[in-house]
Amino acid sequence: MAHRVSRRGFLKIAAGASVVAGLSPTVRRVALEPFVRPPEEELPGRATWYASTCRQCPAGCGVIVRVINGRARKIEGNPSHPLNRGKLCARGQAGLQVLYNPDRLQNAVRQTGGRGSRRFEPVQWAEATDQLASALKGVGGKARVGFLGGSVPTHLRLLVTRFLEALGSPGPVLFDLHSVLEGGAEAHALADRWFGSADKPIYDIGHAEVIFSFGANFLETWLSPVSQSYDYGTMRQGQSGGRGFLVQFEPRLSMTAASADQWIPVPPGTEGLVALGLGRIIVEENLGRVGSHREHAQLYRDVSVGAVAEASGLSVDRLQKLARAFADADRSVALPGGYLSGFTNASQSMDAVMALNVIMRRLGREGGVFLPHTIPAEAFINPDLPSPFRDFEKLIQKMRDGQVDVLMVHGANPVYELPRWAGFADALTNVPLVVSFSPFINETAAQADLILPDHTYLEGWGFEVCSPGGDRPVVSSQQPAVRPLYDTRSTADVLLKLASSLGGAVSQALPWPDEVAYLEEASAQLLGSSIGVFDARTPAGFWSRWRQLGGWWSTKPIRQEPVARGLPQGPLQVPAASFAGQPNLFPFTLLPYESIALSDGRGADQHWLQETPDPMTTACWNTWVELNPATAAQLGVTDDDIVRVVSTHNALEAPVVVFPGIRPDVVAIPTGQGHQDYGRFAAGRGSNVMDLIAPVVEREAAVLAWGGTRVRVEAVHRSTKLARLESLDGKGRETLR
Amino acid sequence: MAKVAKPSAESAATGTSRRWAMVVDLDRCTGCQACVVACHAENNIPIVGEEQAGYGRWMHWIIIQRYWEGEYPNVKARFMPVMCQQCTQAPCEPVCPVFATYHSPEGLNAQIYNRCIGTRYCGNACPYKVRTFNWFRPEFPEPLPEQLNPDVSVRSRGIIEKCTFCVQRIRRAELDAAATGLTLADGEIQPACVQTCPPSALFFGDLNDPDSRVSQLARSHRSFRLLEDLGTGPAVIYLKGGETNV
Repeated sequence: MAHRVSRRGFLKIAAGASVVAGLSPTVRRVALEPFVRPPEEELPGRATWYASTCRQCPAGCGVIVRVINGRARKIEGNPSHPLNRGKLCARGQAGLQVLYNPDRLQNAVRQTGGRGSRRFEPVQWAEATDQLASALKGVGGKARVGFLGGSVPTHLRLLVTRFLEALGSPGPVLFDLHSVLEGGAEAHALADRWFGSADKPIYDIGHAEVIFSFGANFLETWLSPVSQSYDYGTMRQGQSGGRGFLVQFEPRLSMTAASADQWIPVPPGTEGLVALGLGRIIVEENLGRVGSHREHAQLYRDVSVGAVAEASGLSVDRLQKLARAFADADRSVALPGGYLSGFTNASQSMDAVMALNVIMRRLGREGGVFLPHTIPAEAFINPDLPSPFRDFEKLIQKMRDGQVDVLMVHGANPVYELPRWAGFADALTNVPLVVSFSPFINETAAQADLILPDHTYLEGWGFEVCSPGGDRPVVSSQQPAVRPLYDTRSTADVLLKLASSLGGAVSQALPWPDEVAYLEEASAQLLGSSIGVFDARTPAGFWSRWRQLGGWWSTKPIRQEPVARGLPQGPLQVPAASFAGQPNLFPFTLLPYESIALSDGRGADQHWLQETPDPMTTACWNTWVELNPATAAQLGVTDDDIVRVVSTHNALEAPVVVFPGIRPDVVAIPTGQGHQDYGRFAAGRGSNVMDLIAPVVEREAAVLAWGGTRVRVEAVHRSTKLARLESLDGKGRETLR
Repeated sequence: MAKVAKPSAESAATGTSRRWAMVVDLDRCTGCQACVVACHAENNIPIVGEEQAGYGRWMHWIIIQRYWEGEYPNVKARFMPVMCQQCTQAPCEPVCPVFATYHSPEGLNAQIYNRCIGTRYCGNACPYKVRTFNWFRPEFPEPLPEQLNPDVSVRSRGIIEKCTFCVQRIRRAELDAAATGLTLADGEIQPACVQTCPPSALFFGDLNDPDSRVSQLARSHRSFRLLEDLGTGPAVIYLKGGETNV
């Protein structure tokens, strides 16, 4: 018979038991072990910030990444970084979409259906690197290895150079559309000609009173746009002496020109000539407060102001006014911009602009021209500059002739970025092994046999020697803000692995066990520098500060005064630029310009950037053709009508944007769209303006004259709806009271 | 002159007499769109795609309006960043049938997403056209949801949304200040657009503090407000751009 416990009785027993249990001396505390362990620094709900470097363009701005529960959530500018001073541009802000892009490669792959088949099969990392190592061992001569880089971070560039040197192969060829459009190679050549410097000149925009910008879109994509925009803000409202005077010489009203006080639409390719005319007036009339111009008279001996006026369409009177404005200011500076590099007279045009700074004695003066101070450590001496087009052509020629057995590609996408006549895609078929390190399947990676995806920049290590570095020497360090999302591998680590498996001279030249060991050793070279913003007693301490602050820079601004090695021999001249296409058949000059959002096309896979309106046209998600209202009326087309733009080499169709800020004889098309690959947001959208470019190459410096293509425009009597921010009802001329 | 709002009974109860305000210096603004992308990243704003953007259904909380003046070759383009003006007398507020639009003690026009039933009355009433409507369910293909800011709710279809002056950042700074016992310094709170703006064209602060940067700038001879004669009393103050003539 069961003993029944009454409710009252049960409660008595329970109360007693709990008292006994409460008195028990042996309560064990056991921590619960979750299956997934969060990173140690993480507190749920609290953000951790990591300093690193933006890699959306080569400028090297410092970023801090907000990480919550091990995931990167927001990117901000690093407030202590001397280059961007806490600021970031649209592209920098969109960096999360590189990391979290839905179309990233998640592991190493081999293309199994032949090149261009886009049938990829996962491959083990060990197997893939072994394949590459044995290919490098088996090449019939060390010169038969090629490395093509785009905007490669400085540390990787240095490693690659060492690797190829030890291998006995020619150095890397660095070529990408962004540096072509900003005139990277030309800016280096200019600094070399005038000052014997390997570094690009720095223009002190923040302290200038008068800025004459010759095709320099310094608020958009040229050199270091965030740093320059910051300085522009200072020039406008931060100085005590007034709001500055900015004049922009270029055929299209770019965003920078829209911020200028005067936009002067001179014919394409005559910008340098205008600079020459202004210099002649300054010297002839002995303008400015710099003493005698007698020594400069020789420079301008052959310049006729009348001829300049005729070629540029500016009156002599206007030229004189401009010359006086430039010469009368205490702090004036002339910028030789990227647009000048797009013509056959590139070097002479840029010389003519730089001459203005020289005759006004603006070298090494506040608001003038400077050279960067070198980083005081050998590990950061950066020998590799963007290669001139000539070097790239040579590589293509070698590939075509079957003299390249292995081609490695990192950060470059020439199949997309170059017109077909350059022959890169065709030459690629003669290379037995093509290896890409791209984290995405872009047009060039689609032609590779093997893709060994690098980490994206928020997952990887590195550093960038900022050039230009603003007002002081800057090395911006890069560290992972998050663990790699996928089974990708740092290209530097792949190279080090290759080096150790190749053995011999190569493994001696690259003795580091991994990328981090190399970076640690490099950073330690700055230990004990007297100018650094921080120092430490041990290399380990230094390395930790280096990562914490996001790099190394000097406490105070340090710049070098450029010394003109002697003015150019003989008088300055700017020959007329050559153009491809007969003016009667092809009446317009094509102006390809770099999109502020998509850059040279590398931003097209980020939909934040795709939906960002272009500042001038407010259009997005597509390619468009900008026509002067008079030109559009003459062709009988208006907004959203599709036109066919035909060059001597190719044609494309795109909708019209009637654009009041462009010369009637010029047609402008932005870069960035027209991808065949590169993920769901980029592929099959718009057209690629670079397809239209005709082969005009400046003989002397072998620069691709991308501005020298003439086109005709045909109406095709169809229209589309171009997505844009503004309504077409008011044509942007409504007024807000 | 800046109109100084009297602290309401409600603001006295919450111990605050702030009036958050933004100053946009048009002389510094270059139209570069950095604020637009920063705002998308901070506030989980959906991307609508080419077709819907073509219909004008883009959802940017801040836009850079571009105005043309004159004809070629004497043509000028002017940029005007426009976000919610956080009006003192907001036309969007009284029209909401469900009280989803609400005036906070610190002068913000708040939108309570889970009250919103999508009548779009507020969007129609707004003279600045800064309210955007979720016509579709926002899509973030994997792994893009990882980019979402955990401090900001992701809105669903049928909801009106707009600029909040990054209220999540204001709240966090206020809570942190309260927890540490420190007072908020001027400029300590930065909405995402202000923080990123490369030429420093945007300023944020308390208009009720006469020494704050925004108060000082609001007293500038260059200051004006959008559609001032409507009497909405915007908390966004613009500073006129200029032109240097030589």
